[in-house]
Amino acid sequence: MFALIKREIQDHIAYFIGAAVFSVVFIIISFSLISRYDHRKPPVFSIGFGVPAATIVIFGICAMGATQMYLDRTRKISALLSTLAVSRNQILLAKIITGILAILILFVPLTIAAGILLRLFTPPVPMFTGMVLEISVVVFLMAFACYCIGLQTGWNSSPVTPSLGALFLTCILIPLILIKGFGVHIAVILVLFIVASLIRTWHTFMKTSL
Amino acid sequence: MKTLIKGLALNYPVKVFATGFVVLTLLSIPLFWFRFICWTSLSVNMPDDAKRVFVRPSGLVPPEFENDPNVVSHSIVSARIHSREKGLLSLGIVDYFIRRFPGEPRSNVYFSNGNCMYFDKKSGQIVHTYTQKQTMPDKTTLRKVVQFYVGPEGVSETRDKTLGRFIDPIIDQGWIEHRWVDGRWEELRELILYDKKLRCFFKIDFNQRTVIKGPKLGKNDRRHKPIQIGLLDRTPFELSYLNWTPPRIEVADRDPNKIGYSSTDLKPIIPTDYDCDAGPYLLILDETGGIDLLDKETLEFVTGTPQFPGVAGRLPAPEAYFGSKSSVTPRELLDYEVWPLALTTYFFENPEEVKVTFGDPSFFFKRAPSRIERKYLGMFAASLSRDGTALALAVFDEKGTVIKTEYSRLPRQEGRYTTYVESSKAAFFGTPWSPALTIGKYLAENLHPPILSVASYFTASAFEAASGHRALFFLPNSFIAMKAEDRGENIVERFLSALWLILPSIILAIWLACRVSKDAVVVGLSENARAYWIIGTLAFGLTAYITYRLTRPKITLVTCPNCGKMRRPDMAKCHRCKSDWLVPELRPPVWRVLGKPY
Repeated sequence: MFALIKREIQDHIAYFIGAAVFSVVFIIISFSLISRYDHRKPPVFSIGFGVPAATIVIFGICAMGATQMYLDRTRKISALLSTLAVSRNQILLAKIITGILAILILFVPLTIAAGILLRLFTPPVPMFTGMVLEISVVVFLMAFACYCIGLQTGWNSSPVTPSLGALFLTCILIPLILIKGFGVHIAVILVLFIVASLIRTWHTFMKTSL
Repeated sequence: MKTLIKGLALNYPVKVFATGFVVLTLLSIPLFWFRFICWTSLSVNMPDDAKRVFVRPSGLVPPEFENDPNVVSHSIVSARIHSREKGLLSLGIVDYFIRRFPGEPRSNVYFSNGNCMYFDKKSGQIVHTYTQKQTMPDKTTLRKVVQFYVGPEGVSETRDKTLGRFIDPIIDQGWIEHRWVDGRWEELRELILYDKKLRCFFKIDFNQRTVIKGPKLGKNDRRHKPIQIGLLDRTPFELSYLNWTPPRIEVADRDPNKIGYSSTDLKPIIPTDYDCDAGPYLLILDETGGIDLLDKETLEFVTGTPQFPGVAGRLPAPEAYFGSKSSVTPRELLDYEVWPLALTTYFFENPEEVKVTFGDPSFFFKRAPSRIERKYLGMFAASLSRDGTALALAVFDEKGTVIKTEYSRLPRQEGRYTTYVESSKAAFFGTPWSPALTIGKYLAENLHPPILSVASYFTASAFEAASGHRALFFLPNSFIAMKAEDRGENIVERFLSALWLILPSIILAIWLACRVSKDAVVVGLSENARAYWIIGTLAFGLTAYITYRLTRPKITLVTCPNCGKMRRPDMAKCHRCKSDWLVPELRPPVWRVLGKPY
């Protein structure tokens, strides 16, 4: 299993490097937002830089899922690996764990940094109690849901469907945060969406002939 | 366990349900945005006359002031819908942050403006921090940060378990408004709070550093379930706006050549404090929508007598699209605001010197009065309907009797007569583009699964009004859900009328079910599977149809030699004519080639 995960990481190392780089970028943006916060001057630069960066990150995560499945399908990686002592379950599980690792590399340092910065720079009033955790959980779930969209659309032999389909569906799903905010409701919807997407992906992956 | 999970995951029905949920979610989001755009446009474009309602004279001002010969403008109470902000404020992300602002329901921080006060859940105590200025003998100013901990049993400068624990306190919001909205900080006096779990009112005296505990509400007292005390206002960013103006007289130095009056030419007949103040009482909003009076001194609800029932009134029910209900609860309203009115009489050392004011503007006086008498006059209450298109304004006297109720309506000139259309109807059909937007909203609702539309009908009142505006699956603001509020018809008639409202959705579902049925026959689904798909498509409409297209067996069909139709090659019998495969019998020929030809 570890060998499979290691191989997946090696195959998609660019995404891991990107996740680490963007994590640092977001920590810098958070630092500038929190430490220099002045309600009279809107943080135009931070927002102007942060929004495109967040968009790239979300599409990047989705692209990772799509790439994993598309390369598997077109290069017959599963067909090759199935000749070894691994099952298709393990192959898919390794892909999903790799995806989760990439998302965690991006968000865990950011969450820790945001928590520390809020403790350092905000008054000792429980104004932000639970907010960092709630927002982090929802953002993680949204990123994972986008990754799942990538997994679903990527299992295709044509390069157009994975790229455009994933882009289109991600554009539909992300505004769910605008509709529902960061509360429990969106977390429940996203968890159900992720479970449903993984079942669908698993079914497709297991039932398709090699 | 592992095998069970694997088996479930690879089960065809499980895959169908999983795909169905993915489709439902991804379809509901664009439909939400379409409905959102239509609804926001309808709200913003509502005719201006349909957005406001007023009562003039307001009815609560004593006749000696209202009918004073010097009065040039009578008292007026008015309410208005602020529809421009409504669209953005209804989005969940805005609501998430707003509700965590100091003083809001999801925040434990009551205010944070240099000085701060918050409820510390861990210790169960209210923490109050402020900076105290001290002038030293050398005339330098020393700033000292003071921190108090307040519990049900007392006030202390250190966190102490003997102070006890609050569990779920709600505080008089008006007290906070007085202090940090005005932009200046006044010295603390007293704060009244109610603990929902302890079912008890408390009065914190910051000068004496004491906590007075009121009598505990009985366990069997189901009538009183306070949800807000003091300032009764639903949202910090007002979706509706309530305003009261006292009778006004001309200012002394007005230009005599000027014709007509502007607001600068007029002043209140007596000094007026525009902060909501109920005099000796505190208004308590109950979860049923009733408003009670609490005696600020005894911390007890005012006991009802035939002369003084002790009830302030209740939130009025706006006229919804399909008629209005007799009563509403705060959960069913998008916004509400209550404005109590009190008359204060100040007596000074000179017995002839008496000053009368509306509210409590005593901080304007240069001398402290020797005695103060406060009299509660009544209250004004405004409610905004669930969908934000109708407003109701009611005036209650000091006995809690309704003096007048006005509803937002659009006046229409028809010949010599003026007719009035309810604002909830005017919003949908009152402006040039509104019919198109209404139809757009209606069609988007009809693309929603019919079963969820019917569920919305039954569950509409269970949703909080504000959360209904960001609903994805159940739609409490859809036309069918609005029909559920109609009290003009009996249950059967109402339900049939509601089904009539989703007729396009039902027709679409039937048509899609026919298509699914035909296709299921072609691809060779079993009778049971076909029946399930037909039922599913009738219930979930477009969502089920897309799910079917995504999950139907993808098998290349071959021509059946018996019936000539397309059949599945993976089945022993043709699913159309039930014939077996016609495999020609291989019989060896009777002749043989035995040797080389000559």
